Amino acid sequence: MAASDRRPRYGLLLISVLACLFAAAPIVWGVLTALKPAAEVVSYPPNLMPSRFTLESFRQVWSDSNFPTYFRNSLLVTGIATLTSLVVAVHAAYGLARFDFTGKTSLMLGLLATSMIPGIAILVPLYNLSIHTGLYNTFTGLVIVYTAWNIPLLVWLLKGFFESVPVELEEAAMIDGCSRMRAFYTIVLPMARPGMLAGAIMAMMFVWNDFLIGFTLAVTEDKRLIPYGLYSFISNIGVDWGQLMAATVISLVPVVIAFLLLQKWLVQGLMAGAVKG
Amino acid sequence: MSGLADSPSVQIVPADEGAARAPVRRRRRWPPTLRFDPMATLFIAPAIVIVFLVSIYPVFDAAVLSLHRTAYAQKVAFVGLDNFVALFSARGFWNSAVNALIFTTGSLVLVVPLSLGLALLLDRNVPFRSVTRTVVVLPWVMSQTVVALLWAWLLNGDFGPLTFLAEQMLGHRPAFLSDPTSAMASLVVVNVWASYPQATLLLLAAVQTIPQELYESAEVDGAGWRARLVHITLPMIKPTFLVVLIQLTLLYFNMVTLIYTLTGGGPLGGTETLAVGVMKTSFEDWNLGRGAALGLIITAVNLLISLVYVKTLRPAGK
Repeated sequence: MAASDRRPRYGLLLISVLACLFAAAPIVWGVLTALKPAAEVVSYPPNLMPSRFTLESFRQVWSDSNFPTYFRNSLLVTGIATLTSLVVAVHAAYGLARFDFTGKTSLMLGLLATSMIPGIAILVPLYNLSIHTGLYNTFTGLVIVYTAWNIPLLVWLLKGFFESVPVELEEAAMIDGCSRMRAFYTIVLPMARPGMLAGAIMAMMFVWNDFLIGFTLAVTEDKRLIPYGLYSFISNIGVDWGQLMAATVISLVPVVIAFLLLQKWLVQGLMAGAVKG
Repeated sequence: MSGLADSPSVQIVPADEGAARAPVRRRRRWPPTLRFDPMATLFIAPAIVIVFLVSIYPVFDAAVLSLHRTAYAQKVAFVGLDNFVALFSARGFWNSAVNALIFTTGSLVLVVPLSLGLALLLDRNVPFRSVTRTVVVLPWVMSQTVVALLWAWLLNGDFGPLTFLAEQMLGHRPAFLSDPTSAMASLVVVNVWASYPQATLLLLAAVQTIPQELYESAEVDGAGWRARLVHITLPMIKPTFLVVLIQLTLLYFNMVTLIYTLTGGGPLGGTETLAVGVMKTSFEDWNLGRGAALGLIITAVNLLISLVYVKTLRPAGK
C-alpha cells in the first residue's frame, strides 16, 4: 500500500499463516482421513496423522461401490455440456460483438437477467417439463439444462474477448474473398483461444460441481452424477467415512487442476455473472 | 472496447445493407428504424432459443403450476391462489423465512469483514504472498456437496476433530448438528468457509486498482492506516463492494445444496430456509404446485434485492 510497504512485514505473516490454516485444514483433514487404515478413521480421540498411510479406502470405494459409474457419468455429462455450451456461446458472443441490430442492448441485458433467475425457482418446472418431454433421467436432459445455464456467463465473457480482436483482420480477409463464416472460424476464433479456454474451464467447474440438476433430473444409480452420488453415500446408514473421504478426494482432482489453470481468469469470470444454485 | 464495433469506420456491413444503415450516433427517432441482420440472427439464435426454453419458459410454467393442485407431475385442478394462501398461513413458511434471514445476515456479517481483511492482507507485501493467495481461495473450487461432506466429518458427533476440540474446551461433548440453534450456527460457519474466497478475490481485484499515489500523498499529510482505509480504500472500492454484497446476499438467500446436504433443513426445521423449503415441499412431500409457488415467492424476493442493487449502484456511476 504505502511507500513503507516495500519491505515485508513479518507481523502480517502470522495472519497469513492463520488464514491459510483456516482455508486448508478441513481439506487436509479429509485427505488424511482417506489415507488412514479403517480402524483409525473411527478412533476417538481422533489422531491427525495415520500410523501408516494406506490407499485401501481408495481401492474399496473404486471397486466395491458405484462411485466409478458416477465418475464416468460426470465426466461424460461435463464434457458434452461444456462443449455444447462453448459452441453455442461462441457464436452468440461473436454475433453480439460484431453486428449491430435493433434491440441488441435489451437482448444482452435480458440474457444477463436470465442468469439472475434463481435455479431453485425453476427446478420444479424443469422437473415437470423433463417428465413431459421424456428427458427425465437422461443425459440429454442434463446437457440441455447445463448448457442453458452456462450460456449467459460465457457469452458475456467471450464477447469481451471478441471485441479485443482487431476487426481489420476480418475485413482484410473478407476483402481477399474470404466468407464471413470462414473469417470467423479461421481468423477470429483462434485469436480468442484464451477466452474460450477460460470459459470452458468455468463451464466445466459449474457442471462438475452442480448438485441440484443432477439430483432432480438424473435419479437412478446408472445415471447419477458425482455430487448426488456422494450425497447418497452419506445418507446411507453406516457410512464409511474413510471411503467417503476417498471418493471426495477423487472428485476434487479435476476441479483443482481446472482451478490452477484458471486462476488468472478467475476474477473476470466472477465479475461477469452470478453463480446459480 | 465496445467502441470498436460501434464506430462506423471499422464496422463490417454486409454489402447490400450498408447503404440503408442509419448513422451510428442517433437519438431516438420516430418511427423507429428497425435494423435486422440475418447473419447476426444465425449466430445468436441458438443461444436465445435454448436460454428461452430452459430459463424463461419455466418461469411461466411455474406460474401455471402454482395455480394448480398437483398429484406428482400432473395438474389435478385449478385452485387459484390457494397454494399461496396455504403457504402464507402455514407456520413453517414464516419459520423458514426467519431462518433464511438469520442464515443470510449471519453469513454476510462474518464474510464481508473477513474477505475485506483478507483482500487488504493479500494486497500487501507479505512473505510467500503468491502461495497464500492460492491457498486462501482454495475452498472456492469445492462444490457445496463436498463442503458439506468435509464439514459433516469435522463436526461428526462421534469421531469429529472439532467435536473433540470443543469437548476439551467446554468439558462436555457438543452436539453441533443435532440441536437446532447450534446447527444453524455451524451452518453459518461452514457457509463462511465455502463462500469467502469469491468475495476476497473480487475485493482484492478492486483494491489493486487504487493508485499508489493516493496513499503516498495521504501519508505525507499524516494520515494513519485507519484514515487511509476510511477515506481512500473504502470509497475507491465502493462499486465492487456493492456488487459483492448483492452477489453474496442472493447466493445465501437462494442457497440450497449446502444446507440440504449438510443438515437437510433439520433438526426440527431449525435450518430450513425458504429455498430449502422448495426442495422439501416439491421432492419430499411431492407437492409440486406449492413448491412452484414458493419458488415464485423466492424469485420475487430476488427481484427486490436486485432492484435495491440497481438503485444503489446508479449514483456510484458504474
